[in-house]
Amino acid sequence: MMHPESDSVTLREALSRLAPWWRLHDRYRRRLILGVVLMMLTACSALGLLAVSGWFITASALTGASLAAGAAMTLDVYTPGSGIRLFAVARTVSRYLERLYNHDTILRLLASLRGTAFDALVTMDPARVAARRSSDWLNRLTADIDTLDALYLRLAAPPLMALGLIAVLVVLVAIWLPQTAVWLAGLLLLGWAWLTLGQARWGLNASRQRVTTLETLRSALMETLRGQAELEAYEALGSARQRLDEIESRLLKDQWRLAVIAAIGNGLASLVIGLSWLLLLAAAMQGISDERLTPAVMVMLPLAAMALSEGLAGLPAAFTQAGATLGAAERLNELSFATRPLEGRQTLASGAVRVQIQQVSWRYPGAWFEALHEVTLDIVPGTQLAICGASGSGKSTLAALLTGQTRLQSGSILLNDQPIEACSPEALSHAVGCLTQQVELLDASLADNLRLGARQASDAQVWQALEAVDLAEWARQLPQGLSTRVGEGGRQVSGGQARRLGLARLVLTDPGLLILDEPFSGLDARTTQRMAQRLEGWFKARTVIYLLHEHDLASPRPGTQSITRVHSLPVTSSVLAQKKL
Amino acid sequence: MAITESVKSPVGNADRGTRKCSQAGRWLRQQATRERRLLGFAACFGILAGGLTVAQLVLAAWVISEAIASPAALGELMWPFVGLLALLGARVLATGGQELFAQRASQRLRQAIRGEVLTALETLGPVRAARYHSAELAQRWVEQVEALEGYFARFHVQMRLVVITPLVILAIVLSQDWLAAILLGLTAPLIPLFMALVGMGAESLNRDQFQAVSRLSRHFVDRVRAITTLRLFGLGDLATREVTLVADDYRKRSLRTLRLAFLSSAVLEFFASVSIAVVAIYIGFGLLGDIPIGPADELTLFSALVILLLAPEFFQPLRTLSQFYHDRASALAASETLMEILAAADTAPPRHADPVEKPAPRDAADSPTTDELLRLTEVCLSHPERGQVLGPLGLALMEGEVLVISGTSGAGKSTLLQVMAGFVAPDDGIRHIRARLRLAWMDQRPLLMQGSLADNLRITAPEASDADITLALERAGLKTVLAALPQGIDTPLGEGGRGLSGGQAQRLALARVFLSDAALVLLDEPTASLDAETERHLIAGFQWLSTQGRTLVIATHHPALIAMATSHLVLEEGQILPMAVTTATATRQQHEPTGDRA
Repeated sequence: MMHPESDSVTLREALSRLAPWWRLHDRYRRRLILGVVLMMLTACSALGLLAVSGWFITASALTGASLAAGAAMTLDVYTPGSGIRLFAVARTVSRYLERLYNHDTILRLLASLRGTAFDALVTMDPARVAARRSSDWLNRLTADIDTLDALYLRLAAPPLMALGLIAVLVVLVAIWLPQTAVWLAGLLLLGWAWLTLGQARWGLNASRQRVTTLETLRSALMETLRGQAELEAYEALGSARQRLDEIESRLLKDQWRLAVIAAIGNGLASLVIGLSWLLLLAAAMQGISDERLTPAVMVMLPLAAMALSEGLAGLPAAFTQAGATLGAAERLNELSFATRPLEGRQTLASGAVRVQIQQVSWRYPGAWFEALHEVTLDIVPGTQLAICGASGSGKSTLAALLTGQTRLQSGSILLNDQPIEACSPEALSHAVGCLTQQVELLDASLADNLRLGARQASDAQVWQALEAVDLAEWARQLPQGLSTRVGEGGRQVSGGQARRLGLARLVLTDPGLLILDEPFSGLDARTTQRMAQRLEGWFKARTVIYLLHEHDLASPRPGTQSITRVHSLPVTSSVLAQKKL
Repeated sequence: MAITESVKSPVGNADRGTRKCSQAGRWLRQQATRERRLLGFAACFGILAGGLTVAQLVLAAWVISEAIASPAALGELMWPFVGLLALLGARVLATGGQELFAQRASQRLRQAIRGEVLTALETLGPVRAARYHSAELAQRWVEQVEALEGYFARFHVQMRLVVITPLVILAIVLSQDWLAAILLGLTAPLIPLFMALVGMGAESLNRDQFQAVSRLSRHFVDRVRAITTLRLFGLGDLATREVTLVADDYRKRSLRTLRLAFLSSAVLEFFASVSIAVVAIYIGFGLLGDIPIGPADELTLFSALVILLLAPEFFQPLRTLSQFYHDRASALAASETLMEILAAADTAPPRHADPVEKPAPRDAADSPTTDELLRLTEVCLSHPERGQVLGPLGLALMEGEVLVISGTSGAGKSTLLQVMAGFVAPDDGIRHIRARLRLAWMDQRPLLMQGSLADNLRITAPEASDADITLALERAGLKTVLAALPQGIDTPLGEGGRGLSGGQAQRLALARVFLSDAALVLLDEPTASLDAETERHLIAGFQWLSTQGRTLVIATHHPALIAMATSHLVLEEGQILPMAVTTATATRQQHEPTGDRA
């Protein structure tokens, strides 16, 4: 079994990989800056509340004592009193607003990111899409993009706010104790650097790997669930489970490592805060003994330093997990940089299409063998052609090339004498219809599924199409008729029905070139014969390419009687095996 | 294309929601008791850390008041200052201990819960588990269990600390000034009250949020799965807009949850700040001698500082708890979905089979012919959406038989095979099976996992040698493929069998049947959608299996496979059309008329 260990990254590499995502935040720059300002306001209010309270009670204690001793003294109680109230309210309000405002910003950013990501997916080369399963894309687009909110809310804004708070404190201290302020600044900046960059570096690989392991665990369970029938029959559930346990234990190991790193970071944060106020306490005590400070200021400074926890305490936990954000960004990078937009502009006239295929070869990335090997074919309009070949001979790849889903690697394809790359995507989707081996039905109503390619089709036309594939009777029996939902992936309909619905969908779109990938497999002879009869005239008005495993012109199988020409594709693995690769 | 339909699905009524939620809460607490010891240690360290914080602040207040009282005698404060440093260090260690013990407990609990869910899925079996989408199950098993992390690692421990530390602080403040203690004490009970009110709203919203996330996932998976079709019909742009729309719906829902979730912490912040302010102002005026009533005139600088420094700490455990509140909310929502699977497994009909009665020993001559492997009696099965899909029907399977099951699509062929395999318990009727009977299974979607070709075969035959594997693959018609692979049987397959074509994957599944010594081989449309070459290899393989004395049950339309039958069943709407035949010729003759008659 393979466990591709993700190679470790340096902090610099990490930053450069995050950069494209950080640049995406530019659109919301004003909102982001305002968010940091609100955070600063909250933290400074906390600092102000403690500092002024400390100053006030010490000053009142001393004044009270002097008054009791009979001295004549006054203390302005209203300014500090209202200061305390102000800071108390400001802290609450700014905190609430800050959190709401920042989350709104982030969710806005995420919603547009999601659209962008799906767009990338839609325009991406299908060979790359096929290389990954839908579970992967799901995770990419939801979890990974969600993880990116950590970029601003956990990794960018809090350290800025902490720096601001440090600056405010250092300036405050510098008013009375300039020398101590220098020491304090040194301690805090060093602490800040460790709690952010240091923790990030330390936890980077473990937290990055953790996300990958979660993904591995997820896909391993999905494999197990999909193969549960076989595993249970062979009494192999135990070994499948062992495999899952083994992946999970890797996950737990990384998590434990991260817990230890975070705990140490949290401890260091407490230590830095504690040492700061102890340093200020010591310096301030020295200050009153040589009368540079009043006792009230002496109390105020360490109390102000206690408010540092507002800025520093959350940093280690966030930065220890920085690798998760990095991992998400890396996977999304792969997605968005794979995009190559379609750029053709030519249209295709309606009616049967002429197809010329010249010297086309194709290999899937990472595949063991070429899927197509130097295929050449000239198909005149109106031909009913069967392309035959065993599985793995590249029929589906040829279909993907003819429908413009996949780019040519070598050779050329002409439709009505113009290169397929020159045709616009719209023209191709109108003129070329394809019944794929696996018919995909959306989680939507029957009517919506049938109207996918012809959104204006009337109910009468939809019923006609259903009639053509011998499903009208079935649909009439459904309690909700055309509004019946054909559940997730068309689960509630059988495989044969899904295939017929797929054909009905094409009848509605009326393409000039029709590609039928094993159109009648899984259907019984009676249904096939009936469908073929009803569709015979419709087929004859266009070029039809049947992709079949085998076809005998002399004794055609049911449904394929109209085929007039056969072209065979060899299985390339055997071709290449003979050539010794 | 319906865009919004799939987004708006009805949200369960609030009543049911609350009940489910309290069940989830109980379940979570019950889970936590399994790691009582570790969580207990964590709580002890937490209490210790709280105590050390209090001690540190009281000592600091004393040092400050001494320094102000006698600024000249600073040297005498050296040792108390060292004490402050020591307390700081001890507190840091205690907090670390709390974190790590709780994290360990959380890890062990999650591991245990994952194990239980896996067992539940095994109990449900391949058919009932397949009613959930595999991606959704995987998401629950991985992410939803991860969502329990914070509840056990943080929230649960903090729930204990939130009571003890504030009481200690209140006692100390009480010893200094009872009126200040009352000021603190008054605000404190209000906080849980407000939190509870706000929390209730946040919880139901949080459930909404979870539903929104799962709808988002469902919608998204559906569109991604259909991406080829969407592209073929040139609907990429439309689908993109749709995805953005659903994502925006998710944003709005999230924001509603957050508005309330943040309100709960804002209430807390408000009370914490205001009571610090009130205490500070009360102490200040009291020290000035402006408050003639109560104990205010007895306040000293030391007691004033103690109260002021402890006031924020009084609220700190609650503030921390409120930060962990979303841990609880996500854990509750997650445990609901996990409990659903566990409950489904508990209520699923048991899948064990009754053993076939031994043939009567007194009539030994008869026993070979009555040697039943498997017998179904009056078996029925219904499907929630499709109604009764099978039965009532009965059949007996003899050793060495080749039973072919045919019938139109949707007639219940696969279901019958699944019942025979024991993947699903019939709603009614009995399945007898010979004790310790081993099965082999093959359908149109063979199990393919990440790993080498050999790994993929060894998962069902762990003891197979390399030679066995090569032989099985060659016999299954993969000889030319193997010959072309530089790494041979060690060639890695990508996720989901990337690298193999459909026919090759099917031949790999056949090799698995060869490697197993299962007496009963169940084949669900094994040759559908395959090329002639693979078909030939498969049919030859099945014939070979039959000559080895294995019993085969094949659901198929294929004439060549029907020709192999020693008996042939035709199903229609879940019922057997009785026409058992014994010769291959007769089978072929019988086959065509069935279509016409139906």
